[in-house]
Amino acid sequence: MAANVAWREGSGASTLFDAALATVGQQLSQSTLQIIDGRRGAGSGVIWRAPGWIVTNAHVVRTPQAKIHLPDGRQFDAALVARDPDNDLAALRVNELDLPVAEIGASTELRVGELVIAVGCPYGLRGSVSAGIVHAIGPVAALGDRRWIQADLELAPGNSGGPLADARGRVVGINTMIAGGLGLAIPSRDVEQFLRRVMLQKQAA
Amino acid sequence: MSSSSDSASASDSASTAAALVALSNDLANAAERAGQGVVAIHARHRVPSSGIHWQKGVAVAADHTVKRDEDIQISLPDGRTVAATLAGRDPSTDIAVLKFEAGSLAPSEVVDSSLRVGNLVLAVSRTEGNHLGASFGTISAAGGAWRTWRGGQIDQFLRLNVAIYVGFSGSALVDPQGRVVGLNTSGLARGLAMAIPPSTVSRVVHDLLSKGHVSRGFLGIGMQPVRLPEDLRERLKLSAETGAILVSVEPDGPAGQAGLMLGDVLLALDGQPIRDTDDIQAHLGPEKIGKAVAASVLRGGASLQVPIQVGERPRRGR
Repeated sequence: MAANVAWREGSGASTLFDAALATVGQQLSQSTLQIIDGRRGAGSGVIWRAPGWIVTNAHVVRTPQAKIHLPDGRQFDAALVARDPDNDLAALRVNELDLPVAEIGASTELRVGELVIAVGCPYGLRGSVSAGIVHAIGPVAALGDRRWIQADLELAPGNSGGPLADARGRVVGINTMIAGGLGLAIPSRDVEQFLRRVMLQKQAA
Repeated sequence: MSSSSDSASASDSASTAAALVALSNDLANAAERAGQGVVAIHARHRVPSSGIHWQKGVAVAADHTVKRDEDIQISLPDGRTVAATLAGRDPSTDIAVLKFEAGSLAPSEVVDSSLRVGNLVLAVSRTEGNHLGASFGTISAAGGAWRTWRGGQIDQFLRLNVAIYVGFSGSALVDPQGRVVGLNTSGLARGLAMAIPPSTVSRVVHDLLSKGHVSRGFLGIGMQPVRLPEDLRERLKLSAETGAILVSVEPDGPAGQAGLMLGDVLLALDGQPIRDTDDIQAHLGPEKIGKAVAASVLRGGASLQVPIQVGERPRRGR
């Protein structure tokens, strides 16, 4: 295994691991924002693509307008463009070109055991980072046939709508719920499909 | 996105990032490799439990998850689901052994490794829909041999700091190289995540395959804990406050043959105090069969030493 370098005894692998996790977590935080829809508590969101497209869970935004807080301190009013409660996804837009867009990864290439990192705003704290691994990929008992990224990592309610990323910091999913102790994320492929639909509809309109 | 243009720190951060990716790949490789030997056992209501392909055509599972003796299926890493037969079970170590047609599947690579506190481990499971599952954590406690509350002998105490999800019991404890280093179960210590080391699993597998049961020492007596009178303790200089009074003695059993009688109070075996019946179980491992133990007995206000040759517990019909 070529990758074994991280495990050589006495190589300071754990220190390296710490630093790497902090780096990736910080990078991911740039594109993670807090969403307050005026009615309920805060959730998280991801700056998914330019210009100004933000993705979160449908259960995070229920009003046509929401306030978003960037980690750099900027605040914007975002307009709800589409909401799909069945898939628990929502798309918002802000009129701002200068936004740190997340790098999106391919959820189809995820493997069981891979490291994953979640960033979000649980309990209203901005930029919390938790790390774990992919526990399984596929349907969850009692939740139908839908495929989930099931993560062995600690999530809190405010993580909803925030990013789940791989070891390179590429977003592979949207953290959506906790079930049986596992963090469930909607795969990035499903999010891309949702966004494509939304944009086509917007063009048609 | 970094504002730093310093090339040294840029290469530093590149190497730390590479380390994370390397670790991630290692863990995914380990899960995949170990997963080739992890099976799903359908022997309970609703969700299946996990098991390990221990030796060719032989799977081990956590006994408490194997709820029925017949009509058991195993889902294999190659996608097949085949019938399995229960070769035997040992509730004392929470191990059940099943036989199945493995075809071209190779068993797990099992190693006896000297696990230490803090070692990184994976729990690799297989459950509903034949999906692989993995959880990540550390060895949180490691100690010497111990005996379970049911009297099973486990060669090493291994407690895990690993989240318990559906399918944990019977899953494989896996090192970062993808080798199996134990059988996981939450059934041995009040729902805590524990692992049984390979040497213990292999011994139980051997016993169950060759005899259908795990041998246990046997004295042929029934007991009840009893408080020892203060004056008697003082007179005989006994430190223990309780002993075990014999409420039944099988005449042909080892204790009966050695001359023990109804009403005798057992105080110690080989010098180890007997406070209740669990202490006796702890003394009757398979290694004691055929050997003599020295029983300290209280009879008629006097203490006496009686050697008893430990027998093998007869199998009770189901």
